[in-house]
Amino acid sequence: MKMYKLAGEERFLLWAVCSIQLQVLCDKSGEKLLLLAEGLLKKHIASHSMHEPEALMVYISLLEQQSKYNDALEVLSGDLGSLLMIEVDKLRIQGRLLARANDYSAAVDVYKKILELSPDDWECFLHYLGCLLEDDSIWKYFDNIDQIQPTKHIECKFSHLTEEMFDSRISSASDLVLKLQMDTENSNLRGPYLAGLEIEKRKFLFGKKNENKLLESLLQYFHKFGHLACYASDVEAYLHVLSPDKKTEFVGMLVKNSDAFSESATKVLGQTTTILKVQELTGNIFELPIDEIEASAVKLAKLYCQNLSLSKDLDPQESMFGEELLSLISNMLVQLYWRTRNFCYLAEAIMVLELGLTIRGHVWQYKILLLHIYSYVGALPLAFERYKALDVKNILTETVSHHILRQMLESPMWVDLSNLLKDYLKFMDDHLRESADLTFLAYRHRNYSKVIEFVLFKQRLQHSNQYHAARVEASVLQLKQNADSIEEEERVLENLKSGVQLVELSNEIGSRTLRFNEDMETRPWWTPCPEKNYLLGPFEEISYCPKENEKKDREENMKLAIQRKSLLPRMIYLSIQCTSTALKESVETNGSKGDTKISGELECLLEEYTKMLGCSLSDAVEMITEISKGARTSESLGSSLVDWLNFAVFWNGWSLSSHEHWHVLNSLFERLILDRIRSMGSSDMSSCYSDVQVLVQIITEPLAWHSLIIQACTQSSLPSGKKKKKNHQHSDQLSSSPMSETIKDSIQSLCNTIQEVSNWILNQLDSPEDDQVDRFLSTLKRAEGAAGGPGQILGVLESVIASCEESEVGNRIFDALKSWNTADTARKTVMAQQRVFREFLQICESKRKQLETVKQQMSHV
Amino acid sequence: MVCIRRATVDDLLAMQACNLMCLPENYQMKYYLYHILSWPQLLYVAEDYNGRIVGYVLAKMEEESNECHGHITSLAVLRTHRKLGLATKLMTAAQAAMEQVYEAEYVSLHVRRSNRAAFNLYTETLGYKINDVEAKYYADGEDAYDMRKHLKGKQNHHHGHSHHHHGGGCCSGDAKAVETTQPADAKAVSK
Repeated sequence: MKMYKLAGEERFLLWAVCSIQLQVLCDKSGEKLLLLAEGLLKKHIASHSMHEPEALMVYISLLEQQSKYNDALEVLSGDLGSLLMIEVDKLRIQGRLLARANDYSAAVDVYKKILELSPDDWECFLHYLGCLLEDDSIWKYFDNIDQIQPTKHIECKFSHLTEEMFDSRISSASDLVLKLQMDTENSNLRGPYLAGLEIEKRKFLFGKKNENKLLESLLQYFHKFGHLACYASDVEAYLHVLSPDKKTEFVGMLVKNSDAFSESATKVLGQTTTILKVQELTGNIFELPIDEIEASAVKLAKLYCQNLSLSKDLDPQESMFGEELLSLISNMLVQLYWRTRNFCYLAEAIMVLELGLTIRGHVWQYKILLLHIYSYVGALPLAFERYKALDVKNILTETVSHHILRQMLESPMWVDLSNLLKDYLKFMDDHLRESADLTFLAYRHRNYSKVIEFVLFKQRLQHSNQYHAARVEASVLQLKQNADSIEEEERVLENLKSGVQLVELSNEIGSRTLRFNEDMETRPWWTPCPEKNYLLGPFEEISYCPKENEKKDREENMKLAIQRKSLLPRMIYLSIQCTSTALKESVETNGSKGDTKISGELECLLEEYTKMLGCSLSDAVEMITEISKGARTSESLGSSLVDWLNFAVFWNGWSLSSHEHWHVLNSLFERLILDRIRSMGSSDMSSCYSDVQVLVQIITEPLAWHSLIIQACTQSSLPSGKKKKKNHQHSDQLSSSPMSETIKDSIQSLCNTIQEVSNWILNQLDSPEDDQVDRFLSTLKRAEGAAGGPGQILGVLESVIASCEESEVGNRIFDALKSWNTADTARKTVMAQQRVFREFLQICESKRKQLETVKQQMSHV
Repeated sequence: MVCIRRATVDDLLAMQACNLMCLPENYQMKYYLYHILSWPQLLYVAEDYNGRIVGYVLAKMEEESNECHGHITSLAVLRTHRKLGLATKLMTAAQAAMEQVYEAEYVSLHVRRSNRAAFNLYTETLGYKINDVEAKYYADGEDAYDMRKHLKGKQNHHHGHSHHHHGGGCCSGDAKAVETTQPADAKAVSK
């Protein structure tokens, strides 16, 4: 402001105005300031007028922010309005202001004008229809866009319209759409035709019984655009409103009508792909019998092969014809696996996609599908490789890394995980640091509206759920990596400010709105978000299930998960501190209460922690006690089993002098781990990786923290270091005290349990690699003359590889086909699985050795 | 159905998702931000009917000698949405803005010699001409065509606002100072 007064330049004033707007936007208070800003601008305009379009935009947005729509309209239509040089831009603003001022009939005229200028402007059409029907839901929709891919479903409300009003208005919309269709007949625009569909949809939602007409329009749209790759996503919202029967009927209509149009190979290919995608979207595919799905997949594989020659002359970076067919086939194979639990289908899906990648190396869908299948079968190093091939960097680390992050967090692949987290956090931190400079850049270029957008964007990243989670996980990972040595761990904790900062984070997050910037659209149907994997449960006939419904739950759960996790470092720190007090107590039975402050804080955190698990501290204690005694099964802990074990560890850390608590914890570990091992039995990695993931987490988190507490106990009793001198006098007493016996028992119990895990892994690693590869491949071999079953698709593809001619498919595809080797792919999968086992075994062994060392130290005291 | 509209900062998330699905892109985030915060009028996105971003054009203004001209930095359209004329629409929108907002004389761009589809679009549909060949322009050693298209010439769009200014031409005076934010590998891609 001072600079404005000194220099009198417009830009300094606008700078100040923007700052006010931002303040109001972010704090949702101080609205009086807006009035002040408006006054300043008015005064400036009166004396100097206004010279820049951006300045006008600021002025209008300022009025809009105060809901002074009519004032804004007046400004826009006055002299200043001519600052906006692109006519359509001006009309769009005008339409918006009129609509918000509830002057619907004037808004309709403006939107109509825009549509005549650009008939393909879809957003404008929706606004037009909204204003025509006096329905402002679309504005709420635009105000609430929070996802990277906004929801496809926009609410409509009609209750304020009589049937007569609705009919007359919708018929004027139909007239306009017809006119637009005629005007653009030769330009192949989809907009006007989709507008026709939208009108039918509104009629349907209003209660007109026009379902058949809607189907007919969808079919017409198919005739016109069905061969395009965008057909399915175009009509998704319309399919969504149909009843299940009508959805099935529609698929039938498509199948019947597609055969009639077969003038060109690419068109047939496009239409066939579209029909399959519609089947996926409507959930129709989940209702088909298994052999029908198989037959359909075989048909698609043949179609893919027949059309390879179409792509003969394409540049390597261009999409191939029929590229999507392989993704569709693999989706079908995954479904077949889900329904039959026959691993061969999954193996076949891997082969189909890998072959696809051999032919076309850049297809991201193949990479993502493979990434998830490899993760599911425990070939995590390969999954990570496919992820890296996606070349995820910059902002994509925020939107795309959800594909791999969770699996990595639950794996023993600490080095790769650490790099993943580091890269992501570096990008986010760099961006947040540099954003001040960028804000300044926008100011200097006098792009004031961008200043506001940019600051809001920065907040969006700052409050990203993934960013918070990654910060916590990076700290926890360091603690996991150093948990074998109490000295190292204390150093890590010191760097983490004894966990205080993360506790603060946990408190802050509770009241904050987290943002979700991940692009979930690219995930396979069977794992729509990182926490969900249908394959882990039984097959149910899932009909079309909109992903959106899950969003709200997800937000709540993510928040709790981050909050819980961010308490861990502090609880570890406090538990370690508690050990010295506890030992003193156990020796001086009549002793003072020790450091009540530390144990008091730990108790508070335990209470908070259990609250986040959904119960009180005493209920939580009862729960784990019952499970340790076998009175309840571990299933009652649900998916937060590891969190419960963490709780048990720190609960014991808080009450170390109780022999009984130690005992509960020992048997809890034993029971939960042995349960898993028993359920896995001798099955191989491919079918039990989710159990392995749980084991990895138990060993690397709660069990690791517990063994740290044990180390801390013995360390406090050892005559070393200045701090420990106080305890020296107790040390010889300790060795014979009941406490020491308790610790020794616990060590023994833990060692035995870990040994069981190691034995199980060794057993898995025991069979030679070649045997495992053979077993993998044998699942794909088909018995001579077998009618159905897995392996058919790979058969089709391989026979083409054997017989195709270079002249037919071009040398690039020909070379790729010749380089394909099924056995190599099988071997890579097996090797990746074994690597996970070896990493895990190493962790188990070092934990066990560490505990053995502690035991020896104790007996030497 | 597709709406060509000016990009907002929030669109960056989806625009980069396009890169995952089109070509690997070597621009850093701040390079996008540098564009959108400096010349917001020159960034357009193609938004499909369900709000999904299916393509974008990234452009900027440059002042070499005294001729003010625009430059197309990057153009991308999702594979699923190609052959629908989106690239043409995006380019037309950016060119129009260069002409109307910044009074650009001409617009330039680089294209890979091997990228026949893009080359055809620029020459046949949009009327670009080869101005020069830049040897080994791309990081992988491929040559680039330096292409140009002259805009219709200055028309007075100012409707009497003769005192309208943009800090002395198309680039405000201090724009150059921040150009260092452009990463060294920026030219590694760009179609």
